Amino acid sequence: MWIALAGHPEEGILSVGKGFLLNIWLSVVCEAIVLVLALGLASLRLTKGPVLLPFRVLAIAYTDFARGVPVILVMLWVGFGVPSLNLAEVSSQSPVVYAGFVLVFAYTAYVAEVYRAGIMAVSRAQVQAARSLGLSSRTTLSRVVLPQAVRNVLPALLNDFASLQKDTAIVSTLGVAEAVHSAQIAGGVEFNYSGFTIASLLFLAVTVPLTRYTDHVMARDRSRRLAGMAA
Amino acid sequence: MSGEERSRTPDRGETATPATPVLRAVGVRKSFGALEVLRGVDLTISAHQVVCVIGSSGSGKSTLLRCCNLLERIDSGTIELFGHDLGDERIDEDLVRRHTGMVFQAFNLFPHLNVLDNVTLGPRRVLRLQRGLAEQRAQEMLARIGLADKAAEYPDRLSGGQQQRVAIVRSLAMGPRLLLLDEVTSALDPELVAEVLDLVGELAHQGMTMLIATHEMGFARDVANTVCFLEDGVIVESGTPERIFGDPTEPATRRFLQRIVDAGRL
Repeated sequence: MWIALAGHPEEGILSVGKGFLLNIWLSVVCEAIVLVLALGLASLRLTKGPVLLPFRVLAIAYTDFARGVPVILVMLWVGFGVPSLNLAEVSSQSPVVYAGFVLVFAYTAYVAEVYRAGIMAVSRAQVQAARSLGLSSRTTLSRVVLPQAVRNVLPALLNDFASLQKDTAIVSTLGVAEAVHSAQIAGGVEFNYSGFTIASLLFLAVTVPLTRYTDHVMARDRSRRLAGMAA
Repeated sequence: MSGEERSRTPDRGETATPATPVLRAVGVRKSFGALEVLRGVDLTISAHQVVCVIGSSGSGKSTLLRCCNLLERIDSGTIELFGHDLGDERIDEDLVRRHTGMVFQAFNLFPHLNVLDNVTLGPRRVLRLQRGLAEQRAQEMLARIGLADKAAEYPDRLSGGQQQRVAIVRSLAMGPRLLLLDEVTSALDPELVAEVLDLVGELAHQGMTMLIATHEMGFARDVANTVCFLEDGVIVESGTPERIFGDPTEPATRRFLQRIVDAGRL
């Protein structure tokens, strides 16, 4: 078990523990990119002007596609397909880059929908109050609508983050030496499958606190609202 | 309201001359789908005048107010604000609204911002005031309405009356030249109505130009220069409060006021 966790380079056994750091790193970087891109996408989908109609149609098509195709399929498709295209630069990236791209691609669609639900839950009256002060539609979005929207959907965002964190395991299909792939290798060399146990425990060590924290945020939010009603 | 207040010229006008009314509406029509809410409304408000619009729910009061700051676009007719045609394609909506404060029935304070930030958001983001200056002014205004100690509170910790007064101050912080008040006491518990009406009365006394949709007949009688009775999207009758409440000529106005009297609200 210790061999699997710490690795044994001489015997070709990769460290599950070290691999897991890659999972963490990948999920944090991807989440940061996803949060920004998804916000842009959600804002785009909520625009009304006819000029942006083609972009809205594209955004809807992308969302349907990214949510409709299994992540593992996109991972294999991009991870093996793109390098075989022999394009300059694009085809010669590390598998980690492809993996990150696919995770961002998949999760931006989900998170954008979460944002969109949150934005739509902010009442029209709030927008009208802001516009009546002379705030532009843009300032209204950034100062009035989005802060309330993010508050509405914070539990859902944390939920998606936990999910993204888990889905970094799919990166193993590209042969990236993250936790799961390292455990596979350890199992293959040693016929000792405790590496999978270790990988599972490591994932749980992150996702369980994250889930508890999500619950805590939801409870705090609810009690604050109830306090507000009592006042 | 006394004559000398009415004759004061609007001092912040760009193109407005003493003769230019703050608001002039002619033949305003507005429909929502098949429902025609405003069916040819004419209305003029001069500087420092208070016009109260009365009428039953659904008569079009709110819609009329919302057309005046472009929350709704009218279908036909014209509304001129300080001489500018609001129907003009090139009109700057944000500029119109900056000069036209609106206070809502349900307060609509920003729940994620404390009282001070609610009041300073407009001045800081629209008028580009420095934070310190905006906050200093906001504090002064809050002190004047007795809510200085609530500056750091969030709206949901305030009573309805306090929230509505903050909402009025939030509008005033933009230095509007016309204030639109949309049934600002209708969502309040009866014992909280007075504090809000007192504040509005004080503004009237200071010469603020206001268009007020209200169900408070006593209040309308006290502060209005002109009272308009709106029914089915038409101003049936308008005149001084003394005449409208004391000697209405139109049968529809009489019927409406009789219902109010019967309900014990006048």
